[in-house]
Amino acid sequence: MNNYAVRTEGLTKVYRDFWRRKSSSALTNLNLTVERGEIFGLLGPNGSGKTTTVKLLLGLLFPTSGKSWLLGNPSSDLTVKRKIGFLPEESYLYKFLNAEEILDFYAKLFDIPKKERKRRVDSLIKDVGLIPYRKRPLSQYSKGMLRRIGLAQAIINDPELVILDEPTSGLDPIGSREMKDLILEFKRQGKTVVLCSHLLADVQDICDRIAILNKGVLQVMGGVKELLSQRDVIEFMVKNLSEIDIQAVKSFIEERNGDVVSINHPSSTLEELFVNIIQHHR
Amino acid sequence: MTLTIAINTLREALRKKTLHVLIGLGLLVMLILPAIPTTDEPDAQVKMMLVIFFQVVVLLCITGVIFLSATSLPCEIEDRTIYGILSKPIARQKVVMGKMLGFALLSAMLLAIFGLLNMVVIQRLASNLPEEYRGIVKARTGFAASQFDIQGKLHHTREGIAWVEGGRAGIARWTFSGLRKNPANKAIFEAEFNLKIESSRGFADTIPLFVSVEDANRHQWKTEVLPARADKPFIVKLGAEGVQENSILHITVFPVHPADYIGVTAKDVKMFSVQKGFVTNYAKAVVVTFLKFLLIVVIAVMGSTYLSAPVSIVSAFVVFLCGHTLEYIKDFSLLIQCHDMHEHALPAMLKKPNTLLVYMDYLLKKPLEWISFVLPDFKRFDSLKFLLKGIDIPLETVGVSFGYTALYAGICLFISAIIFKKREFF
Repeated sequence: MNNYAVRTEGLTKVYRDFWRRKSSSALTNLNLTVERGEIFGLLGPNGSGKTTTVKLLLGLLFPTSGKSWLLGNPSSDLTVKRKIGFLPEESYLYKFLNAEEILDFYAKLFDIPKKERKRRVDSLIKDVGLIPYRKRPLSQYSKGMLRRIGLAQAIINDPELVILDEPTSGLDPIGSREMKDLILEFKRQGKTVVLCSHLLADVQDICDRIAILNKGVLQVMGGVKELLSQRDVIEFMVKNLSEIDIQAVKSFIEERNGDVVSINHPSSTLEELFVNIIQHHR
Repeated sequence: MTLTIAINTLREALRKKTLHVLIGLGLLVMLILPAIPTTDEPDAQVKMMLVIFFQVVVLLCITGVIFLSATSLPCEIEDRTIYGILSKPIARQKVVMGKMLGFALLSAMLLAIFGLLNMVVIQRLASNLPEEYRGIVKARTGFAASQFDIQGKLHHTREGIAWVEGGRAGIARWTFSGLRKNPANKAIFEAEFNLKIESSRGFADTIPLFVSVEDANRHQWKTEVLPARADKPFIVKLGAEGVQENSILHITVFPVHPADYIGVTAKDVKMFSVQKGFVTNYAKAVVVTFLKFLLIVVIAVMGSTYLSAPVSIVSAFVVFLCGHTLEYIKDFSLLIQCHDMHEHALPAMLKKPNTLLVYMDYLLKKPLEWISFVLPDFKRFDSLKFLLKGIDIPLETVGVSFGYTALYAGICLFISAIIFKKREFF
């Protein structure tokens, strides 16, 4: 059990109305395992139970039945939260504070000593690119800036497990790319990342394994490569081949009863194009 | 961690416009109201300043504190900033405690600012008062008579008040002992008389009274003829030498004129030892008032752990108002009870039960009894009555108020912690 960063067993959440009557099932019998050091994507459409799962793991909601463990400890254990960082879906932050004050406040909740607190606050403000705005109240921040400071507060305790709910929401493509790079950096540092998103391209780019939820029920769970690979299709990527040689290869394949599905030039993603143009102009 | 939450709560409150408006209003009240003309009494302005602070400014601050403390947690839940807190390693009861502590700090800060300002103004006003009116800026410790009797003829007794006829027909006597426990204490003493007067000579708002103070052990006495007024107590000063460690003082009073009468009870003459110590007494009054703030903060935060912001504000105000009218609620309960008993006896005799009163018994009397038992008694924190009479607030009063607040706040905190621990955040 200690090998898992997150584990749930039959996790179920039923919402009830004022009269304790069942109003809806948000999550049904979820059995989930996230291994340490991996980037795990929790996917699903709106209302599929992603956020409910995260709230159950963090103790914001109580399960109707089932159990969950974080880093080998029951998720209800308060001490395990010392090793967890959480970025909510929206940046729910105290708008009357500035960047320095809010990071210092959250650092204090982890009992981080004053000197170390100051060092981490300065370093994180620099990492998320908010040095010029560090004294400005968060009420004057843009959505993207709030997302950055939200991420900084999520990792103020240098967590082993980072739970990110829609981390790229509200970010422009550059910010989105930086966020994905940062998540990959977390992996390099040995941290486990649980990523909730419905932006499939983001998840495909960075996740090792994924789980897809629909109407509170786990539909599929596994490695991204395994789930997406088409075993009966083979793809060659070749550079500097003339049209005659292409036709020759095609004929060769057809002679051996292979079906050539498509022959085309690979395209870059729109995100890559956008990032390249903006970074070139910077 | 509780302190971290408390400081953040205080910081949030300090940056809110509500508080800025509140402080502005408080300052305005303290600047404008003293300018309103008062009575001709030289100490009226000092009394007015005390009333302005302990009633108007305190009420204003309590309103603001109720508003802020009752909305803090519901707003955090609505804005979902609570997610950021509860996903950190902090117990939920510490969040509630932190909120309570934060608003307690805010209350202390408001009381310190306005209280200090008010005291400075009072000291300045008092420095211009004639000596005989400076009693209000002293701290007097009261002593009740150990014995009370009527010598001679008692004219009649009505509603527990003994009426003594003038011209030495009857004499009212109060005896005091053990007044100066510490011989090193050089406090002066004064006797305060609150007598009822009547006269068969027609309407008289002043009658001459013969007053004698005698030290039984030292065979020393002092006699005076003083004008007694119907609407105002009068005071006889004894000085520091007038009362010794072993003194037994007999105070005798009778109207000079045979057609005059005085109505007296054992409590109508009180001895006071007068000492400098207004600042200490004022500080004690502020501390007792702070306990009142603390209690309402705890109640408001407790409500806010479960209720929405508007409902939480209303419920805190209702508790605050009911807590001040507890005596009336108790009286009403008693009234129903008395009426109930009386009316029940009659139908029993007539063998015809009164159904309405039986229902009233269950529907009103019992709930009112329970409400008066559960509600906080804010009247016990009234320290203004002491200051206006220049009476030293006994340490026991402060201690009992502290104990009451601690017990009540402890129970509220316990209930809040349970509610908040079981709460889900959707």
